[in-house]
Amino acid sequence: MAASIAPECNDIKEKYDTCFLKWYSEKYLRGKTSSNECEDLFSKYKTCLNRALKEKGIEGMVEEARRNNRESDTDFLRKE
Amino acid sequence: MKVFSSNCIFDYSWNEVSTANWRKYCPWNDKSTHVVGVDTLSRSVDPATGILRTERLITCDQSVPQWVLSLFGGSATSHVYEISYVDPIAKKVTMCSSNLTWSNVLNVQETVIYRPSLSKANSTDFNQEAKITALCGGWQKIKNKVEEASVERFSQNAKRGREGFEAVLEMSRRVFGEQREHEKRQLQS
Repeated sequence: MAASIAPECNDIKEKYDTCFLKWYSEKYLRGKTSSNECEDLFSKYKTCLNRALKEKGIEGMVEEARRNNRESDTDFLRKE
Repeated sequence: MKVFSSNCIFDYSWNEVSTANWRKYCPWNDKSTHVVGVDTLSRSVDPATGILRTERLITCDQSVPQWVLSLFGGSATSHVYEISYVDPIAKKVTMCSSNLTWSNVLNVQETVIYRPSLSKANSTDFNQEAKITALCGGWQKIKNKVEEASVERFSQNAKRGREGFEAVLEMSRRVFGEQREHEKRQLQS
């Protein structure tokens, strides 16, 4: 799995990525889309990541991109 | 604005491709060593459609010529924002990316789609399109040059991207196979 931008987040990121990939291939793709057993790991990883983005001074840039891309939800977050 | 587009077919099922796609930038991919970080910013499943929505931040160490750095300032580290949607019923992955770094000079919007192949069983169609726009003020001639050079660069990277992903797909199949064997043996013993 790829590394995190912040080395201090690598451990928790790897745990989360492994959990997600297992969920994705074994549950999500088999129709069990509502389970969320990786939530705890993700919230820990996000805490670490958000702190790092702030320290690196790129959180503003990232937030702006997230805002600018919200429109794509109208195109892709709907049934085919 | 210039548009770059490419299509190809991967000889792997959509399930395999869409799974391996999450680890496209991993050590198995020796063609993506410029990617130094892949971080998930958010992830959720839309309750109405079952579509998985993911936002990621991709960090690259680009080999940028020194004169470019001294001209525009900044460092060789660049960031890309990616938002993706997986529709498990329609079997479609859509990924939209845009550059965060140097976005005041050059805007690159890439859309990638993975769908089960229409022409080949158990395979996956890959479509990629990038819209490249130079934003720097100045002569149109210069903007055109910048865009042309960027498209050229993009097309080289796209080729490397495909080769690297092929390696990841092959490794994924092998590792999943071994894992299944291992689980089978454990059940038997």
